[in-house]
Amino acid sequence: MGEIQIAEERCKGCGLCIDVCPRGLISFSEDLNEKGYTYVRFDGDPAQCTGCTMCATACPDQGIEVWNKAGKQTFVNTTGLTERMTHYCPGCTHGMIHRITAECLEELDLLPRAVGVAPVGCSVLAYEYFNIDMFEAAHGRAPAVATGAKRARPECIVFTYQGDGDLVSIGGNEILHAANRGEKITVIFVNNAIYGMTGGQMAPTTLAGQRTTTCPDGRDVEETGHPIRMAELLATLQTPAFVARGSSHDPKHLLKTKKLIKQAFQHQRDGTCFSFIEVLSTCPTNWGLAPQESCDWVQDHMIPQFPLGILKEPERATAEVSG
Amino acid sequence: MSKVLMKGNEALGEAAVRAGCVHFFGYPITPQTEVPEYLVKRLREVGGTFVQAESEVASINMVMGAAGMGVRCMTSSSSPGISLMAEGMSYIAACELPCVVINMMRAGPGLGGILPAQSDYFQATRGHGHGDYQVIVLAPSSVQEAVDLTTLAFELSEKYRNPAMVCADGMIGQMMEPVEFPEEGAATPMPENDWSLGARDGRERRIVNSLYLSPEDLHRHNLKLKAKYDEIAANETRQEIYGTDDGYDVLVVAFGTMARICKTAIDEVRAEGLRVALFRPITLNPYPFGALRDAMDAIEGDGPVLDIEMSMGQMLYDVKLAAEGSRRIEFYGTAGGVVPSPDEVAEKIRGLMQGVQ
Repeated sequence: MGEIQIAEERCKGCGLCIDVCPRGLISFSEDLNEKGYTYVRFDGDPAQCTGCTMCATACPDQGIEVWNKAGKQTFVNTTGLTERMTHYCPGCTHGMIHRITAECLEELDLLPRAVGVAPVGCSVLAYEYFNIDMFEAAHGRAPAVATGAKRARPECIVFTYQGDGDLVSIGGNEILHAANRGEKITVIFVNNAIYGMTGGQMAPTTLAGQRTTTCPDGRDVEETGHPIRMAELLATLQTPAFVARGSSHDPKHLLKTKKLIKQAFQHQRDGTCFSFIEVLSTCPTNWGLAPQESCDWVQDHMIPQFPLGILKEPERATAEVSG
Repeated sequence: MSKVLMKGNEALGEAAVRAGCVHFFGYPITPQTEVPEYLVKRLREVGGTFVQAESEVASINMVMGAAGMGVRCMTSSSSPGISLMAEGMSYIAACELPCVVINMMRAGPGLGGILPAQSDYFQATRGHGHGDYQVIVLAPSSVQEAVDLTTLAFELSEKYRNPAMVCADGMIGQMMEPVEFPEEGAATPMPENDWSLGARDGRERRIVNSLYLSPEDLHRHNLKLKAKYDEIAANETRQEIYGTDDGYDVLVVAFGTMARICKTAIDEVRAEGLRVALFRPITLNPYPFGALRDAMDAIEGDGPVLDIEMSMGQMLYDVKLAAEGSRRIEFYGTAGGVVPSPDEVAEKIRGLMQGVQ
């Protein structure tokens, strides 16, 4: 049998681990933890747990560690993140995207020379969570800050972590030109189709018909245009670049996305090129959906608009979209 | 080293290289474009970094990135471009990063014109962007002084971990004069520090940040910055006083190119027996209030102060602050790229002296 350990005090009660456990071994406690969340607990038959790590993979809050049948720890929290609890809402997938980014840096042994650039938006406090040297940039300017940082210290692994308002709207120019110059940086672009921090306004990536506080009747594409497909846009540039889109809405997609992020950092480590990884994510609070409903919404509504896959690779000369 | 004949903008670029700055990020704009044009070639020779940014917004943020990594870096621009840098300047000052910004002022407002002006005095000395921050502002009146002040700007920006601006006007950038540079390779490297980011080698992680969500923390941060600005004001004011040898009845106050024109005019009227002196602030921020007040108090009788600017009266506010109502302040200014001739200034002085004598 496998074994999981749940850090009750880290749990925000999003319940994503409950939904992904293939054996249904996790459930909500009837108690509240210190932060006031209904935390989860392992209450199934221990013999049933295979130590598959799905629960830990789906946890946005570094709250679960896993051991397999042989007693070997198969899911260890990364040292690339600090132990600080994030301020993200329950079920928000920022926490998972932070984690896979940090895991990639750790697995490639790049943490000692990694420098991150946090944006303005929900992930403005990313500098508190990544356990590395960090900048906090002005709204949208992270790719310019990263350009200066990488040019100054090419030996460092420099990445930006930006949301859709920051990167596509106010920072549209900075990202376009950093990509076109082929700055040897990595950009993690988290797209949840809405402004989270300011309370749910329309983003450049808001879907047609999607309701937000500034398009309360649903986004009218006649008036506000269609959502911008940033990965596709950047993939039209000639400068060699690694451009891909993944998703964070379930463990399978998250692990695929991790592979993309790892490739991106490898490209930077090898001095190859600018790399851009768009990651579809959720905003349960401002979408008005429960965490698992939000994940389903990504699958059903976002992926058709923002197809997943590698759009451009250094060795492939032309852009190619794959579903 | 012997003197070489160089255009102001190119001399500024060379001065930066001699100061050990090998990272430049900028965007073309008249009348400063020769700075990047010079540096793209020069930095290649010394193994430096040159990036033509997509905008001044990006330039200043690239400077923030490089400065945060602990390297000597700079950008240059002219008035409308400096407006676009306002946001970045606020962040860099808030994060306490050293860098040098060159402003070859042109005439505004709006797109204005490309000829020399001094109408960005408010912008330079009162903060370009939001928040309680200040930038060290140095105003050269010759190409040689532009070279010297560029060297000083790097020193002061690193000493105080604050942006320093060389605030000249298009005339300084565009004219050629003989200049002498510091020895190449003589600049001291950036010293080891405890704030810059980079490969960590086991040390604690560091953060370059200007976000303080706790009002008390942000209050403390502002008090710390204010204490630094007070220290700069106490230690770094610089000025030149000219023509005071045998006393004076009128004090002209001017900076940069305008001060240089005033000097010629003062020579002219002094030859006629008029007793006129010049006070030239070299640091526009910190402003030499004390020295200016002393110079005002040394005017014989109740003679006036004549503030002359290539603007509609911006430094005038500081001149009045220095006077604290103790003396009559007259003003003469031009705008739009109209540069007064020494004869025009002399005529203004003569007119003023008629009232005095």
